[in-house]
Amino acid sequence: MNSATQVRSSLRPGFLGKIRTGNKAVLEAVQSLGLCTVIVIGSILLGLATPVFFTRINIENLFYSSTIIAVIAIGQSFVILVAGIDLSVGAVLALASVLCVGLPVFQGLPVWLSMVIALGTGACIGLINGLNVTVVRIPALIATLAMMSVARGTAFLYSGGRNIAPVPSVFVNIQAARVFGIPLVILFTLALGVLANFVLSSTPFGRSVYATGGNAVAARLSGIRTNRVILASYVISGVTAAIGGLMITARLEAGAATAGVGAELTVISAVVIGGVSLFGGEGKIGGVLLGVLLLGLVQNAINLLNVPPNYDYVVSGLVIAAAAALDVYRRRIVEAGLRRRSILGRKDETATKGKPAEPDQKPDTAKANDMKGPEAAYDRPK
Amino acid sequence: MTEKSQALWKADRQSATAAAAEHVLVARGICKSFPGVAALDYVDFEVRSGEVNALVGENGAGKSTLIKIMAGFYAPDRGEIRVNGKHLRADPTAAHKAGVATIHQDHNLVPSMTVAENIMLGHWPSRFGIISKKDQTKRALDALGRVAPELAPGTLARRLSPAEGQLVEIARALSEDSRALIMDEPTASLSSPEIDRLFALVNELKSKGLGIVFVSHWIEEVFRIADRITVLRDGKLVGSAPSAELDQERVIKMMVGRAVHEITSSAREPDKVVLEVRNLSRYGVVEDISLEVRKGEVVTLAGLVGAGRSEVASCIFGIDSYDAGEVLVNGKHVAPNDPTAAMQAGIGFIPEDRRRQALIAQLSVSTNATIAVLDRVAPRWVISAEREREIVSDATRSLAIKMSSPRARVSTLSGGNQQKVVLARWLARKPSVLILDEPTKGVDVGAKAEISEIILRLASQGTAILLISSELPEVLALSDRVLVMRSGRIAGELDRRSMSPESIMNYAATV
Repeated sequence: MNSATQVRSSLRPGFLGKIRTGNKAVLEAVQSLGLCTVIVIGSILLGLATPVFFTRINIENLFYSSTIIAVIAIGQSFVILVAGIDLSVGAVLALASVLCVGLPVFQGLPVWLSMVIALGTGACIGLINGLNVTVVRIPALIATLAMMSVARGTAFLYSGGRNIAPVPSVFVNIQAARVFGIPLVILFTLALGVLANFVLSSTPFGRSVYATGGNAVAARLSGIRTNRVILASYVISGVTAAIGGLMITARLEAGAATAGVGAELTVISAVVIGGVSLFGGEGKIGGVLLGVLLLGLVQNAINLLNVPPNYDYVVSGLVIAAAAALDVYRRRIVEAGLRRRSILGRKDETATKGKPAEPDQKPDTAKANDMKGPEAAYDRPK
Repeated sequence: MTEKSQALWKADRQSATAAAAEHVLVARGICKSFPGVAALDYVDFEVRSGEVNALVGENGAGKSTLIKIMAGFYAPDRGEIRVNGKHLRADPTAAHKAGVATIHQDHNLVPSMTVAENIMLGHWPSRFGIISKKDQTKRALDALGRVAPELAPGTLARRLSPAEGQLVEIARALSEDSRALIMDEPTASLSSPEIDRLFALVNELKSKGLGIVFVSHWIEEVFRIADRITVLRDGKLVGSAPSAELDQERVIKMMVGRAVHEITSSAREPDKVVLEVRNLSRYGVVEDISLEVRKGEVVTLAGLVGAGRSEVASCIFGIDSYDAGEVLVNGKHVAPNDPTAAMQAGIGFIPEDRRRQALIAQLSVSTNATIAVLDRVAPRWVISAEREREIVSDATRSLAIKMSSPRARVSTLSGGNQQKVVLARWLARKPSVLILDEPTKGVDVGAKAEISEIILRLASQGTAILLISSELPEVLALSDRVLVMRSGRIAGELDRRSMSPESIMNYAATV
């Protein structure tokens, strides 16, 4: 194939053509499509392996059990999109959990107020994380690791290490509530996902998040107050982690300081599998939710296939590694497509730019050169 | 120096004198082009044993490319490099083995390692995978003996002065078989006594028969050290002659000597001052900078790389803080160290390093073009796709940006079109002052002319332009006034009548 036809084929509309032209929406679709394929194939295999899989109860359970991770992953996505990371989410979940039950039980506060306080605590922790990262300039990994320890410890101190139960009836009601036959928590999670997607794709704040994560220097030089954007992302993550705390309280029907140990790693895996770049600036909430679903599917498979509990962690670990490897592979293919496009694009451009350069735009070096004299005197090496 | 190495030096010298040509390093007919620009165009260069050949030229003349080819970092598109008469393939390790030692411009020492470890970096002497400290120290001492016997091998590199660091780099680069030493701007960070020390070493190495390639902007320095001066301009060889036959003025003419075409824009009536900078200082970087730019005026900061031009721009736009002074736009004080405030005050800034400071590679052309006008594409907090399309299509038309689609990643565009996207970002804001730092760097000739035109058009529409440029033809064609910077200060001001390549270089390159 000569280069001219190559150029033409790369500009031809159609799916592959669009990958090559570097169309961003298409690239993201490829990401989601890949995940969808994995999920669909996984589901079919699982359905063949056990008839229980395609029952309504199991499917509902699959979604339902993914909701907490999904909510926290939505917040975590903001942080990872600005090229940060929040390891404190599991601990914040536990702290919010003991607070929202403990405050009514121990201090006699109204339930709604204790929920607000629990969410406020999540926001404050996010704010402190954000300040540590932007103002004190502690690396995000360390700042949030320290916060993870402090928050978890506070949860233990407050609860005395015991589960706080029984929970106020509101929690039980939320847990059982259904709208159109679908559990409320699932709808809530989807709504939160839609909201986050809207914020990221259609608001100046969302744009600023992508810009800050994509290139913080360039964003700052374009008048974006990048520190504020980063700060806000950590606050969002803190709040979603606290929401996760309320949700887990409802599920366990107890305020538990031990809840959500290791949740941060599941959440981060889901976000990354969902196509958010750990370097920031790239990824969509839709992908993140699919990532959460994939991890949920793995957990579901482990339960349905009676994998011995001790193999649990190993199997999930292997699946995460495999998914991440697949993702890297896919990315490489897309990048290669982009590179090809950029080379071809340049060729194409110079080809179409056939108009002659205007003669007066570039000084004519050869003609009007009064330096001829001295130059000629030098012995040009031969 | 050990006896063995001394003997080798001697043997080297004898064989060098014995060789008929005496040329230790020869580049013949070198061509190298990077996308869009011809970096080198049939350049010949050679250095003889026991000679310092200074390679001079303006920024972008192709000096760095040439030495990178000679050091084996780039493969030339055409032509060949010979070391001691033998063909050299493009491989830094092979070049080093063949006897070409290179000192790069930026310091390349690992600060947390000792002098000895730095010298042996990458070739630590080891037995069964274990580094032998004793052997390392011994070999480092050998190497140091050739250039700086006074340095202790156990010193941490971060404790060294810039000059000492440079000596360590020279010790690392030189091996017993070194025939040629390439030094890229070796004096850039040195004080004057340190330069004396370096020059003494260069003379010593020269007398031992090495051929030395010395790259510098500083004409006076070149005349102090060079036996021969070779001038490059726009990737072409202008000439090469023994330095005794040249003088400063002639070298400057050779460096900049191109005809300056007729300046078309007529002198304007003095308009009101838009940007005013009063006594701005950032200690140790720029000092006592005062300047004003009027409505519709193009003022250029000229000078050599490192003279502090970009730093002045960084202070004005609030990227860096400053210790003294004040910036005013339209008579109003601009808060320091806050790019957002500077932007709101009406300043636009196009930074030098497009990839690192301006573009967000993962995002689309249209997002990149509207990132500085988020408040305008999103009245009431939600981005209006329609407004975004309007802004982007306006810009695409008026700047003639070529792309496959506004949704394509910005990284798929060519350099010139990427720069136009950055321009579009600021033009959408309609700034009253636009600062452009090397706006035509790395763009091809056609795009260069277009960008120059855009700058003149903006000025005629009343934008006050502060331009930073290292390309003299561009400076002369666009500027109403030129401020020449040297070592962090404004060394001189030139107006339309007094500006010429020579007058600019005189302020910029002489002390």
